[in-house]
Amino acid sequence: MEKEGLYRTLHALGILFALVVILFPLYWMIAASFKTQDELFSIPPVWLWAPTLDGYRKAITESPILHALFNSVIVTGASVLLGLLVGAPAAYGLSRYRFGLRKHIWFWYVTNWMLVPVVILIPFYLVASKLHMINNLLVLILVYQVFVVPLIVWLMVDQFRSVPIALEEAALLDGLSRFGVFLRISLPLVKPGMAVSAILSGIFAWNNLIYAYILTPSDQARPAPTIALSYLGGYIVPWTKVMASATMICAPVIIGGIIVHKYMARGLTLGAVK
Amino acid sequence: MASHPQAQAAAGTARGVDEGLDRPSRLERAEPWLFIAPSLILLLAVGLYPILFTAYMSTHNWVLGMGAPTFNGLGNFVDTLSSEEFRASVGRTLLLLAITLPIELALGMALALALNAQHNKVLRTILQVALVVPIAITPAVIGLLVQLMFDNQLGIINYFLSFFGVGQVDWLGTQVLAYTTVCIAQVWEWTPFVALVLSASMATVPPEIEEAAILETDRWWPRFKRVQLPFLWPGITAALVFQTAFVVKQFGMIYAIEKGGPGTATQTAMLHIERTAFRGFDIGVAAAESILMLIVSIVLAQIYIKVFYSEAE
Amino acid sequence: MKRLTNVLLSAALLGVAANANAWSLKEAAKPYQGTTVNVVGLERPSYKAAQELTPQFEKETGIHVNWVSFPYESTLKAETLNFVSHSQQFDLIITDVVWPVTFASADWVVPVQHFLDDPKLADPDIDLKDFFPVWRKAFTIDGKLMGLPFDSYAGLLYYNKSMLKDAGFDGPPKTWSELRDDYLPKLTDKDKGVFGYALQSAKGETQTADSFARFLWPFGGRFLDIDNKKVLVNSEKSREGEKFRQSLMKYMPDGIVADDHAQAVALFSQGKAAMITEWSAFYPTLKDSKIADDLGIAPEPKGPDGRYSAFGGFAYMVSAQASKKKQDAAWLFMQWLTSKEMGKPLVEHGAVVARQSVDTDPEIQKQFPHLKPMVTTWEGSVVPDWRPQLQCYPKFSEIVSDWGTRIQLGDVSVDDGLDKMNADLSKYMDSANCWKSANQPRQVKLDD
Repeated sequence: MEKEGLYRTLHALGILFALVVILFPLYWMIAASFKTQDELFSIPPVWLWAPTLDGYRKAITESPILHALFNSVIVTGASVLLGLLVGAPAAYGLSRYRFGLRKHIWFWYVTNWMLVPVVILIPFYLVASKLHMINNLLVLILVYQVFVVPLIVWLMVDQFRSVPIALEEAALLDGLSRFGVFLRISLPLVKPGMAVSAILSGIFAWNNLIYAYILTPSDQARPAPTIALSYLGGYIVPWTKVMASATMICAPVIIGGIIVHKYMARGLTLGAVK
Repeated sequence: MASHPQAQAAAGTARGVDEGLDRPSRLERAEPWLFIAPSLILLLAVGLYPILFTAYMSTHNWVLGMGAPTFNGLGNFVDTLSSEEFRASVGRTLLLLAITLPIELALGMALALALNAQHNKVLRTILQVALVVPIAITPAVIGLLVQLMFDNQLGIINYFLSFFGVGQVDWLGTQVLAYTTVCIAQVWEWTPFVALVLSASMATVPPEIEEAAILETDRWWPRFKRVQLPFLWPGITAALVFQTAFVVKQFGMIYAIEKGGPGTATQTAMLHIERTAFRGFDIGVAAAESILMLIVSIVLAQIYIKVFYSEAE
Repeated sequence: MKRLTNVLLSAALLGVAANANAWSLKEAAKPYQGTTVNVVGLERPSYKAAQELTPQFEKETGIHVNWVSFPYESTLKAETLNFVSHSQQFDLIITDVVWPVTFASADWVVPVQHFLDDPKLADPDIDLKDFFPVWRKAFTIDGKLMGLPFDSYAGLLYYNKSMLKDAGFDGPPKTWSELRDDYLPKLTDKDKGVFGYALQSAKGETQTADSFARFLWPFGGRFLDIDNKKVLVNSEKSREGEKFRQSLMKYMPDGIVADDHAQAVALFSQGKAAMITEWSAFYPTLKDSKIADDLGIAPEPKGPDGRYSAFGGFAYMVSAQASKKKQDAAWLFMQWLTSKEMGKPLVEHGAVVARQSVDTDPEIQKQFPHLKPMVTTWEGSVVPDWRPQLQCYPKFSEIVSDWGTRIQLGDVSVDDGLDKMNADLSKYMDSANCWKSANQPRQVKLDD
């Protein structure tokens, strides 16, 4: 049918256009990281050029970015792990039980998540410095829970609800405790939900700047995104170095997201499940 | 068992579950708390003090480096509400919401439909993968890219526009246009998220209903309205709540673009609060401003839930 | 017998002579070996140079120096939070020329005299007088010197020699009127995207210090009359100056109000702007750029009231909240870093120091030609309070920057804008009781 063909072509064109719009900035960033400053700013733009690793060389030798990436991995990994550890059971509890304070608890989660970092920063800083936790990665891991946990709970509540009650009831009748049901029956079934909430909260934890800037500013402790932004205040913005740093900073998150992209499309149901 | 999946779902997201087990015993009544307790304790330990402290700061006259804080009741709130600058910055945030949300919904819907179509599986997969990119890039890096790409003389955007006969557009030097670049960046960054949420919602439509509808009518719009849309309301609501938070909380990207300039053209509430707190060091007022913004966000979230869930029921 | 006496006498004299020069860094640092000092640095060339040379100090003293770097934007925030919370994150902090009053008034830093009074710590060769007087004055609060200058700037006029030549000029403009009336019309061709002058005016400190202040002083305008507690930004002369600035707008690129240092320098190095008045710190960048061969430098043009070049720079100060041990170790590092001996190596590594002996050395001047106009600026008509030194400077600057930008954008007329700025500043200064602690460095002004 002619119409089918037409739709197929339009569909393909539409997607191609979307792809260009979505991916062009990424291309520009990566390309810039392999250019020289002059090439970067030349109009008309250079589409073919001899790539140079100068930006990367400068970024690696002139800033502690490799160590910062390592810090980011630790902070993000630990934050997500901790978040899942407390968040998954919480989501299960909210999904299966009906009890009076439910609404208030939801409200508390949502409030935490909507907290605006800028000013909350100061009390965090004051407490952290009293506890001598400035420049200690642990402080970031704890602070990040404020937005990691609500997100994980929110995303996983649905997933738990999609687990058939019958399965759980059967297991209960078999003598399994409620917690056992959670652990052995329901949790394995919500892996997509776990993956999605892990990657999404991981992205937010990885990209966080404001807390990191103030709570862990030393070269020893700072996570990766603070490096790319540190050039903003200088007199001269070394664009190629910035873009090289930016590429290195975004790479792990993008790769992680790509790995679980399948789950992203299925796991972000957020309330639409039967 | 409610036969309307959306009713169940509608009750889900913000109001909790309406489906549970049979009448619970006292022991069973304690159970949910065991599951929820760890997260609550953690959040209370980390989050409660800062929130209370912020409330404390908001009722005191406190400028860092200029002496100890002194109590001034609701003085900061009064100052804030009567501050033209603050009101203007809130206005910019709300305007950003009003502009970006509908666009993100429309584009997100289009992308979701494209993702769930039957044709071109390879392209669809590539699209699905690509959608992760804008969400994953550090927002401040997006801001830097905007600075680079939208530069008046040296940016690539103007270069492309020159092919359409458009002269050099002074994106970053004109107030209205600078604000536009912020809108564009925000839409670019978060539409994929909306698309993924809606796509996931669409995937929950039972195929039988879809097929039945296809048999009924050839035209796409009535089908969409009657079959898919009802399943999408919860997703739309969730997307709205998330997007609102993302817009209100957005700082790094806008700051990296132009630090709120030119002038105050792109100074949203968040940027204004940051300036109050860390340029003027007036943290008492900044705390009051943050609390007000928190209230605004929560109110908006409640409005969405009321409005859009009533649609579903 | 006489011979023995002579020998003994000579030995005694030698002994005395030797003891007179007994102070050495190594000796002084002995009690502090193994101490770690946390030093704040900026992401700028001078600090990079300092970091490169730091191992020298560490080897000599056994003191470990830990650098913590910030972008300029965040430095005041980080340091203030550090002091307010007593978190002892930093032992040696960097101060912009507009911050010392804040730090001194709050007793966050230790006056230099405290260390000078300690013969074990004070290097007799420190020669404070060798620092340019204007720099000592800039960091003297209430008669006490609070820090030692490091990373100092002056505003310079950078011009494109060949562009000027093509327009028929042998040299750069000497006065602002010359610049506007003779040079700009001939150098600006908007259709070609070429401009005679680009003034960095981005929101924030750049607007206040680079854009607004630059057209205040040379025209006789002022920020404050501290003795009479008056704000003077809308005085006759101030108006004249800011109106002059507005008259330059038509020769400048659109969107100049959004341009910060990076953009102004880029416009110049790409040949799109023939002249810029920027900080001396950009000399190395421009020397390595496309237009290195056409690069000309000169002191900033004069206004009707004389030559007032932009003035800015930093100093190191010791945190009063650090432990005594760390304070002393920090002092030793600061003293070493700003010493005469370290001046030359630092300059060679790309830093800028405020030592007269270094900056006026003809050999060094030959190697680094930008030093000459800087020295002219520092020796000549320079005001250490180019921007007022107040305890409440941050918000003060915000107010100036906001209105300054609005005026430049054309949102308000110069007169209205200045009146409103004046009103807001007066209100703030009064309500925050800022007059009390305002610093009054004596003006240093010479006619050329």
